[in-house]
Amino acid sequence: MDAAFLRNFAIIAHIDHGKSTLADRLLELTGALTAREMQAQVLDSMDLERERGITIKAHAVRMMYTAQDGHIYQLNLIDTPGHVDFSYEVSRSLASCEGALLVVDASQGVEAQTLANAYLAINNRLEIIPVINKIDLPSADVERTKEMIEGAVGLDASDAVLISAKTGHGVPDVLEAIVKRVPPPKGNPDNRLQALIFDSWFDPYRGVIVLTRVFEGTIRKGQKIRLMWNGRVLEVETLGVLTPKPVEVDELRAGEVGFLMANSKTVADTKIGDTITDEAQPAIEPLPGFEEIKPMVFAGLYTVDAHEHTQLREALEKLRLNDSSFFFEPESSVALGFGFRCGFLGLLHMEIIQERLEREFNLELITTAPGVRYKITKTDGELIEVDNPSRWPNPSEIAKVEEPVILATILTNEEYVGGILKLVEDKRGKQKTFEYVSSSRVMLHYELPLNEIVLDFYDRLKSVSRGYASLDYHLADYWESPMVKLDILVAGEPVDALSIIVHRDFAYERGKALVSKMRELIPRQMFEVAIQASIGAKIIARETVSAIRKNVIAKCYGGDISRKRKLLEKQKEGKRRMKRIGRVDIPQEAFLAVLKVGEDS
Amino acid sequence: MSLGLYISVPFCRTKCTYCNFRSDVFSRAVFERYVERVAADINRGGKTAEQMGGVLEFSADSIFVGGGTPTILDINQLERLFVTISQKFAVERGAEITVECAPGTMSPAMIEALQRCGVNRVSLGVQSFVDIEAASVGRLHQRATVVEDIAHLRAAGIENINTDLIAGLPHQTAESWDFSIAEVVATGVPHVSVYMLEVDDDSRLGRELTAGGTRYHAHFVPDDELTADFYETACERLESAGVCQYEISNFARPGQESRHNLKYWTRLPYLGFGIDAHSMLPCAAKRGEAVRFSSPDLLEEYVAGAPPKKIPVSTQAALEETFFLGLRLNHGVDLEKVSAEFGESATESHSGTISECVEAGLLERDGDVIRLTPRGRLLSNEVFERFLTAERIG
Repeated sequence: MDAAFLRNFAIIAHIDHGKSTLADRLLELTGALTAREMQAQVLDSMDLERERGITIKAHAVRMMYTAQDGHIYQLNLIDTPGHVDFSYEVSRSLASCEGALLVVDASQGVEAQTLANAYLAINNRLEIIPVINKIDLPSADVERTKEMIEGAVGLDASDAVLISAKTGHGVPDVLEAIVKRVPPPKGNPDNRLQALIFDSWFDPYRGVIVLTRVFEGTIRKGQKIRLMWNGRVLEVETLGVLTPKPVEVDELRAGEVGFLMANSKTVADTKIGDTITDEAQPAIEPLPGFEEIKPMVFAGLYTVDAHEHTQLREALEKLRLNDSSFFFEPESSVALGFGFRCGFLGLLHMEIIQERLEREFNLELITTAPGVRYKITKTDGELIEVDNPSRWPNPSEIAKVEEPVILATILTNEEYVGGILKLVEDKRGKQKTFEYVSSSRVMLHYELPLNEIVLDFYDRLKSVSRGYASLDYHLADYWESPMVKLDILVAGEPVDALSIIVHRDFAYERGKALVSKMRELIPRQMFEVAIQASIGAKIIARETVSAIRKNVIAKCYGGDISRKRKLLEKQKEGKRRMKRIGRVDIPQEAFLAVLKVGEDS
Repeated sequence: MSLGLYISVPFCRTKCTYCNFRSDVFSRAVFERYVERVAADINRGGKTAEQMGGVLEFSADSIFVGGGTPTILDINQLERLFVTISQKFAVERGAEITVECAPGTMSPAMIEALQRCGVNRVSLGVQSFVDIEAASVGRLHQRATVVEDIAHLRAAGIENINTDLIAGLPHQTAESWDFSIAEVVATGVPHVSVYMLEVDDDSRLGRELTAGGTRYHAHFVPDDELTADFYETACERLESAGVCQYEISNFARPGQESRHNLKYWTRLPYLGFGIDAHSMLPCAAKRGEAVRFSSPDLLEEYVAGAPPKKIPVSTQAALEETFFLGLRLNHGVDLEKVSAEFGESATESHSGTISECVEAGLLERDGDVIRLTPRGRLLSNEVFERFLTAERIG
């Protein structure tokens, strides 16, 4: 097809602002799928995605559309993950497009993630078409939404397309706007091949599947290709497009989007952002924008049942086949046994991996408190990076600790600003900007230590704003900070899995809160148990769990021995699920409490 | 081996707030259908035992009619149950025949009827001699009622009387508990049961204790520490009054221990009739193998004739029962006898657990006999749990 009739576009939207519904409508209107064929929200095909209403993996769907000008256009919808954790993936997906629909809920307005992704699109020089959705809602306020798009994103919203993806109202106008406003791709199918990998995943039956956008040249079936950053040479076995059903094609030409399979067994070879070129006649340069993505958030993952350790390793290996952005290495904990230190792109990424391990692999997990990677300069001048509290050097060996700092963008309504300001100040934030993007909507830019974000920031932000604040961030800086390692001792034994790294000024509060939480969660044992918080050798807080006096079934109704036995079994099972540290049984919730304790302080 | 027979009567005038049994308040119209069904059950006893795979002998040396409140039945209904039993089973001379009674439900006619039925032991659900405590959990009697009932029973020749007490009732204090203990001693009854309030979701008070609330006086329930103190006080006081502890919650003058209850702890056969009635019968095979079965715990299901639920007891499970039931008794478990029944290696397999518990001061060892220490008695679930290794019964 002539490139003049190609349009590649993405949809940018906040969760629940209607991205998936709109995508479904577009598929329906272009006949890619009939309404009956369509399972609701075709694009989010992973269970987790459908449940959470988010997109984790990118997709690319080709639609054929007969426009009002009488021509048939090939529209490639590149669906992107919407969450800050995946902003690199988003940036590569956007780089594969010439245009983007910026979908904003007419009753909710612009949110921080939309904003961040819109900026990414602007930086990628995409043509952005504002689409105001849910105009059928009684609470819809189109004018205010336009004002916000102009104020926050800086886009002209006067020609925004007004739609209701739910009823289908205005959706045909979206298709026309794509054809008229999104520029066709440039590039010459006869040039040397340059194709961008914007997603890849592992399919157990077919190996690695790569989604790619061809910028220059043509990919053909059977061609020997080279991955320019990775260096590997592969042969294209299958080439195709998603309609959304996969349909094989013989070639993909400059401007087109599709998938390929090339006898690769691991996604680590086909990293997002890499450039595909021809092995025999390679391009001179790879496409710009490739980055090795680095994990930002770290935590230990352990199985509740120590015997499942091998299953956990296998599960992690399988997940990694599909997700090269997450990393793991074996670690062991005195408290929890053998497990893995894992690195994630962010908190959502961590939650997703955890949930997939639990659901798809049926594992019961204990996750230690998430932390970040610190740069430590030791007194002997050595520079080390530490993301695991158990590797934290002795305080006397530390000359300087630097912690990662993010630049956070928070969008909220005026009435919640007070609570949010207090929260970010509590979290050691430094204000960069404070501006009104519309008469009642405020945009804040804050520098915040990432360490403070990973603990409980989202939850608290949600609660102080009653859900009316959105957050986006990216790594911005490192600060030198007096960070210390806080240990928790149970009956005199340090429980390594409960150690956390905190700012010195917060150590006392956090320690107090933690031990009091532990006191609630650790069941009474047959002896008195001291719970202490310490920094180095110094005890900063203490609570005591007094010894249990009675645990007895005094009555036995009519010889019902089975009931007694069941009670005893339940009790035994309860203990089996706890972790024994020294002589003390600690329930799993105690390990989770570390994650929550900030809420009380 | 002579049987113990149990009949459950799940009817009450009111439902006590601590009650976690299937007993409840039903219309009297239900009683007749129920008695009909129980009688049919008794007649079918041999068949049921056979279907369950248990070995049954038709001679009984104990009968226990429990509740609920059995004396809520009409006299002729109660009599019908006893007549049916005597037609089907050979009730031995000197058999212990107990009926549970709520204080205040024993008219002279009822006492007379009990005697006609051969009842020689009465268990009174007193729970507390302090009226406000009894009232706060929904008991309908007062202290004076109890004293009168005991006098009436004695006058009729029923001397073998048990009174139940509960430690941990709302409003109970160290003083009020002492008062109840002193009262029970003063009555001179030869048998006392001391229970501790069970906190679980099966009773209204239990749920309130877990979830919070004041309707059932949960906020007046003494804490675990205090309840444990009450229990210890009871053990001491009763002991010095000559009513000695023989099981975690049972106390008796020597020779007046409840034969029926002992069957539960020593794994002797018993057969139950009525809703949620439990049975245990040995299997023909060797080494403690047995079968336990229980009738439905819902009245409609039971009356409709739903079959009992069967739980086989393997040799391994039987061995564990021998420990966790036998250790409830003050005389403990004789390891020599365990070895004789289950083999040397069976005893060996628990020797680690035993020495662990001895070391922790939960068990004491006296030659071949192991028994709970006073501290171990209060923490007996912690001990019993360690004797469980068998596959779960679900």
